[in-house]
Amino acid sequence: MKRFLLLAAIVAFVTPAPAGAGEAGTKILQNRCASCHNLTGPSPQTIRELWKRDAPDLFYAGNKFQREWLVEWLQKPVRIRPAGVNYLRTINSAPAPKEGEKQKEYDVLYGPVLRPLQHLTLKPAEAEETADALMDLKAGDSFLAGMMLDNSKQVSLEEGEVLFDKVYGCLSCHQIEPNYGGFTGPEVYTAGRRLTPEFMLSYITRPKNWDSKIWMPNGNVKPADLQKIVNYLILLSKENFNAAN
Amino acid sequence: MQPIKILFAIAALMFVVAPAAMAEEAFLNYKSYCMQCHGMHGKGDGVNVPAMNVRPRDHSDNNYMMTRTNSEIFKAIKFGGQAVNKSVKMPAWSDTFTDDEITQMVGHIRTLCCEKEIIRGVNFK
Repeated sequence: MKRFLLLAAIVAFVTPAPAGAGEAGTKILQNRCASCHNLTGPSPQTIRELWKRDAPDLFYAGNKFQREWLVEWLQKPVRIRPAGVNYLRTINSAPAPKEGEKQKEYDVLYGPVLRPLQHLTLKPAEAEETADALMDLKAGDSFLAGMMLDNSKQVSLEEGEVLFDKVYGCLSCHQIEPNYGGFTGPEVYTAGRRLTPEFMLSYITRPKNWDSKIWMPNGNVKPADLQKIVNYLILLSKENFNAAN
Repeated sequence: MQPIKILFAIAALMFVVAPAAMAEEAFLNYKSYCMQCHGMHGKGDGVNVPAMNVRPRDHSDNNYMMTRTNSEIFKAIKFGGQAVNKSVKMPAWSDTFTDDEITQMVGHIRTLCCEKEIIRGVNFK
């Protein structure tokens, strides 16, 4: 009897069947995503665990992503974090200069992040199913309580950039247009299409809630500025950067 | 061995092991969090430097670091650059690190800049 209970417990633990998701999407997640992505939580609790992470955590994907973006991205994956998910593997001291070159004065990226992203590409139908299954992973519901975007706190792109760069210093790690900004954080010029406004509000308020050891600091952003920054990110994501370049 | 002796032995061992373990933790924290701007070797040459209009502090710059006290460095890490009249680009890490971790981090930063002075017995307060 005991053995049976144990077995039942293990089965229940290993195969959480999210309610509502189609079988196919869940199967794709379990068979093809789980080897790199964390689908069950919790996030890394120590520095050493953090260094072992291969891919973004997905156990709160349903709280985080916008479904349309997921479907699109799964069919055509591109890199979102210029220095990769785990920048400890991709940053190196500047190499000795070749003849006639100047010595670089700062660390450089190296390795796989200099090549296009290696990621599974899904067919349209698979992408829809997987997105459905991902939207059911909602481990972070409690952190979204009370998060509401205030549409009246609109800013222009210029005002937003001042907040983003000069007031809170986010630009040091995040890019607000291709190749403009730091490398170690995810690009934010697509954040408005990629992430839900509630998630952005909650994550900026306290990144640690979502990812215990993450290197994004709590910027102590004032509530009014928080609304402005998220509105700015949404405005920014409507820009067409391909046309500008 | 008498129980009291074992107790002493454990106490003695803790004095040796605990600081070493914490120093390693501080080193790993520096490697993980500070490195993105202050550089792999703390020379103020992190990978994000091209995106910044203020150069991060070079922790191996002995002449400058000698003029800062430990409590000032602690304050800069905990409350951010603005708390010590420096750039906002240095964020406040009070939510990421505990006070103990920050104290250890200050100790680690001292090993990057002022090892000779520490050996000489300079008190940075």
